[in-house]
Amino acid sequence: MAIAVPFLGHGVGLRPKHFPQLWDGTARVDWFEAISENYMVAGGRPRAALERARSMAPLVLHGVSLSIGSTDPLDEAYLRALGDLVARMEPAWVSDHLCWSGVGGHYAHDLLPLPYTEEALAHVVRRVVAVQERLGRQIIIENVSSYLTYTHSTLAEWEFLGAVAERADCGLLLDVNNVYVSATNHGFSADAYLAGLPPDRVGQIHLAGHTDMGTYLFDTHDGPVIEPVWDLYRQALRRFGRVSTLVEWDDHIPELDVVCAEAERARAVEAEVLEGANAAPA
Amino acid sequence: MLPLRELQLRLSTALSGGPTGTGAVADAVDPALLALVNDRGGLGPARRLDIYADMYRARLVDVLREDFPRVLAILGDKEFRALACRYLARHPSTHPSVRYVGRRLAEFVAGEATLPPFLADLARLEWARVEVFDAPDAEPLRLSDIESLPATDWPALRLRPIPACLVVECAWPVHEIWAAAEDPAPGRAGTGRPEASTIRVWREGWSVSHAAMGDLERRVFPLLEQGEPFARLCAAGEAGLEPAAAAREVGSLLMRWLEDGLLARLPA
Repeated sequence: MAIAVPFLGHGVGLRPKHFPQLWDGTARVDWFEAISENYMVAGGRPRAALERARSMAPLVLHGVSLSIGSTDPLDEAYLRALGDLVARMEPAWVSDHLCWSGVGGHYAHDLLPLPYTEEALAHVVRRVVAVQERLGRQIIIENVSSYLTYTHSTLAEWEFLGAVAERADCGLLLDVNNVYVSATNHGFSADAYLAGLPPDRVGQIHLAGHTDMGTYLFDTHDGPVIEPVWDLYRQALRRFGRVSTLVEWDDHIPELDVVCAEAERARAVEAEVLEGANAAPA
Repeated sequence: MLPLRELQLRLSTALSGGPTGTGAVADAVDPALLALVNDRGGLGPARRLDIYADMYRARLVDVLREDFPRVLAILGDKEFRALACRYLARHPSTHPSVRYVGRRLAEFVAGEATLPPFLADLARLEWARVEVFDAPDAEPLRLSDIESLPATDWPALRLRPIPACLVVECAWPVHEIWAAAEDPAPGRAGTGRPEASTIRVWREGWSVSHAAMGDLERRVFPLLEQGEPFARLCAAGEAGLEPAAAAREVGSLLMRWLEDGLLARLPA
């Protein structure tokens, strides 16, 4: 089985700061990724902006609060609101993160890491299946940056992620920057990570900037993608082929042309890798 | 090894700083939790947990900063952060969206005796502005929609405010405090006197506005919200006025509501 999503090209995140430049029609945008929760509202500017963006280019919904790994029951009101948004906007796909965001009825609004155990795997698989049934479509799950790992994990993160995708029949959103950040923070091999993922499950790639805090890397999404992450992206392209890619920029957001330039660089890197590969002698 | 749920409950408690919301993880070590976190390189388990605890507070305090800019301006960064941390410890987020994190801040501020007495009202006004920002849309009523109505239709005409409109009852003139807090001189916002005010908050297009209601509007608006006919609105405006004068006053009010985009288009 594989994830069935179209190739959309190289997108940008939909951010209010960029609305004026987007609406004047001068920017070239292959597709938009919108944070689902920001648009799960009754009305006003957010909803109107999302509808306008949807009329300009394909749209993908990217959630941060599904909390797929939480041991609380799935939030019915949240799923209903997400389902309504999906029905209204008809996104190319819906994604969220392999993490938990809260428990005991309280939300931390963070992407908290799971232990990679058989118990957690069975739990996550059950919930991904339930969400997919609820939404009537496959979803795509993203690897998160993390700052801690658990002593009782029995699987590598990539083994866990791949197993979730295979057993729940969902897709993967490979965040290359998160692989780089977590590999540095925990001392695992980013190469092994990419090599361990099932290629036909990767439906989207994220790139982003991060901050070097001295003793660890912090996933801040507040700057350009660094060269080692571009190199890892090249590796990902060699392994997974052409995959819809988006550069995330969520803090200290620059003008739209700067974000678009990063998307264009991703396009150029893809051409360099894949056209180079095609041209290479067998 | 802890079962997944137990792990999550302990970690959640550790990240939100325990009962007081003020301690770092390292200051309130949960031995069972620390034993589950790998110790690698220069970062021990407590420091790794602290990264998450710091992120938790930073993220949610930032959300409150954005939603309560005038409360922030009056308190200053340090005191606002302390208030936000106390609030988050008492009222952790219970909604998947951070949009709702501040929904009980005004209530919490009202119970904090050391804060300026008007601050809870100011927080209520700021929260109303958040609520109105993404409230349901409605096509506004325009003068051209009703100007050709026969005079005989007016007494029974039932107008309604748009959904993106809230009324905030305050014990302080917080519309003035809100305006003064945009560029607060030291002590300036704290020198006002209590004075009951009723403030309507509404959205016109994508812009959120608010305005203090006068006596007439304060009497008439509840009837508008209840969908009472125009004749009842005029009757409510009659306090001390002849009926014709009251109708003129209510007519002027109606014109202002129309200009503000405050009325919803009549059903077809």
